[in-house]
Amino acid sequence: MGRETMTMDRRTVLGLGTTVVAATLLAPGVHLIAAPTRTEAKEGRRWAMLVDVNKCSTDCTACTRACRVENNVPIFGDPNRDIHWIRKVEIRDKSHHRPTVTLPVLCNHCENPPCVHVCPTAASFVRKDGIVLVDKHRCIGCRYCMIACPYKARSLVYHETSFPKDGNPDVPIRAMGVVEKCTFCVHLVDAGKQPACVAACQNSGEASMIFGDLNDPNSEIAKRVREVKTQTIRPDLGLKPQVYYQGL
Amino acid sequence: MISEYSAIEGRSPRFYKLLGGLVFLVLIGAGCFLAIEIFGHGITGMNNQVVWGVPHVVAISLLVMASGALNLGSMSTVFATVQFKQFTRFSAFLSIALLAGGLAVLLLDLGRPDRMLLAMLHYNFRSMFSWNVLLYTGFFMLCSLYLWSMFEKPQYTKLIGSAAFGWRLILTTGTGSIFGVIQAREVFHSAITGPTFVAYSLTSGTALSILLLVTTFRLTNREFDMRVLFALRNAMIFFVFLVFYMLIVEKFTKFYSPASYDVENWLLGGSMSWLYWGGVVLIGILFPLLTLFNPATGNTEGGIMFASALIVIGEISYVAHVLLAGQTYPLTLFPGYEVSSSFLDGQMATYTPSLVEFGLGLGGVGIVGLIYVLGFLKGGNFPGILDIICFFCDSCGNFDL
Amino acid sequence: MVWLRPVQMLLIFSILVGMIGFTGFLHAGSAPELEKAKGENCIRPTEWMRRNHMDYLLHQRELTVREGVRVPEESLRNCKSCHTSRARFCDRCHTYVGVAPDCFQCHNYP
Repeated sequence: MGRETMTMDRRTVLGLGTTVVAATLLAPGVHLIAAPTRTEAKEGRRWAMLVDVNKCSTDCTACTRACRVENNVPIFGDPNRDIHWIRKVEIRDKSHHRPTVTLPVLCNHCENPPCVHVCPTAASFVRKDGIVLVDKHRCIGCRYCMIACPYKARSLVYHETSFPKDGNPDVPIRAMGVVEKCTFCVHLVDAGKQPACVAACQNSGEASMIFGDLNDPNSEIAKRVREVKTQTIRPDLGLKPQVYYQGL
Repeated sequence: MISEYSAIEGRSPRFYKLLGGLVFLVLIGAGCFLAIEIFGHGITGMNNQVVWGVPHVVAISLLVMASGALNLGSMSTVFATVQFKQFTRFSAFLSIALLAGGLAVLLLDLGRPDRMLLAMLHYNFRSMFSWNVLLYTGFFMLCSLYLWSMFEKPQYTKLIGSAAFGWRLILTTGTGSIFGVIQAREVFHSAITGPTFVAYSLTSGTALSILLLVTTFRLTNREFDMRVLFALRNAMIFFVFLVFYMLIVEKFTKFYSPASYDVENWLLGGSMSWLYWGGVVLIGILFPLLTLFNPATGNTEGGIMFASALIVIGEISYVAHVLLAGQTYPLTLFPGYEVSSSFLDGQMATYTPSLVEFGLGLGGVGIVGLIYVLGFLKGGNFPGILDIICFFCDSCGNFDL
Repeated sequence: MVWLRPVQMLLIFSILVGMIGFTGFLHAGSAPELEKAKGENCIRPTEWMRRNHMDYLLHQRELTVREGVRVPEESLRNCKSCHTSRARFCDRCHTYVGVAPDCFQCHNYP
């Protein structure tokens, strides 16, 4: 109960569980003027991404550009401190037996995320549907998560940022001194849309990335992961990353 | 054998100069903290590759020494070495001072130090950091109780001192494990990182105690018993060998496994190897051992002091080596492949510390010094607060400080 | 001079009280004129909102960030559809009562 997308009719209000009881206690005299649309992260879902490396061309940066625009990710001009939620990585075989490929690397939204394990204030957490997020309201900027993440998915905001002129008003910018990273575009996913990088990849014609619920057997990603040989980055670490690569 | 303790008057110009110097250090630290707080970590040298820099090196070195400072107390209380009994108060008090200084630097370097209260409200008990916070708090309390029992209830000293001894071993293992448990970092992910930190706490704590005791005795015109100094020296030699052993075991294990050839070759021959060979091996182990084993220097106060200073530098070098080399070495995303990207994947990180970071670290050292020095004062100057912390002997009776 | 102690403390205390009172005096004045909201009524009664909006927003924030609960009608973003100007609504009162919430460091509310 209370985990479905729904309008609040009388029956559901009764069954919404403790969270809403708490909200009601906090808000005496609640008037439901119009039944608001309420959505919630669903337990049992497992959002995941699949990247077909063969389709990802070397010079395409559609995903990284789309991410910057969608999430107001700043560029400071100092490569040591620029923030990257998603980046294109070129990998070359040291023994030159295999071809050089490029692929996007982002937060892997691990099932056993070391960043969440080490976070002293539980600012980093795993949402019910598997998305790993940083609660920027609670982050104290200790950077232990940046030490712990093997994918280099996290960045500290070293400089003051301001809202970009044509920025996306749906995504808040991040204040100086907190750690930020890819959110799987949680605001879009919650609205039933695809993450910006995936949408951009589809639109660019490469269609290398897909995104979906791995626990839904009918979703495209679940089918692909079942049928095609895929791999994750550093599976040996036991983190169970949820960004799958095909053809790596 | 000293059995009587006495405070200093704290009215001489020399004392005020010392006090002024330490206050100045604390002020520098405060200024640097404010600068970082206002302008952000952009004014430090840290970046998204090397996220922990000089402040963390200083803080963790101080915290390791804090546990080590308890050595003298434990030797007396737990291992019944009577000649160290006179230093139990000094030992417990120095531990508290070092802990306060180290923690202050660690906390003031947070990206959002204004949210400290928040951090206390939400606790993630799986985090090594949280465990360390509990360990530090517990150690602080045990040291305070230890000190209190020495003054008020000597019958409990053995019990509390033993608890503090056990706690400090866990504490320093925990500090080392902040690094040791991180699987992603090849340089320091190892079960032996924690025990190596413990070994380092033994050497550096003893060395710092020697430095401070001899200096304090000189400044207050008291005579330091050479037999005590030799006993400390012998303990220190043993501890340095312990560190040496830990390092050898670690390197042996790493070099046995081909998977770590790359990282180990870089550690011993790459851009950060000067810190390892120069700081950890030469200054931290070889030079002190040579100095202490040489009869011409090892039996003199100056020689032992010199070796102690080297050992303290060696400990800081080791912490710096773990932290900085550990973060400089790139994360291995695709083993067996070369990687490159606009986010500096696969490249050695660069880090040039800025002055504010050193300033913040100095502030921590200032806090330690200030607490330590104030501990000598007679209660009269600060009514009611510091009465209990008058230590050192009064056998000679004349104070210059 | 033990008897001086209470006098000293009283003096320090009264200076502190005086300073607080003086800042109050400097800020005294009639309550600021807030911009009139566009819509007919708020999601809660105005009186209630005045007292509780901060707790309410904080609560919503926890729910949204950590549980993924989204109620677009009751989001901070939606405040804007009636209270169109942050400067003339939020800031005016926040400045008057001397609080500095840092919501808008990150959240966009022009």
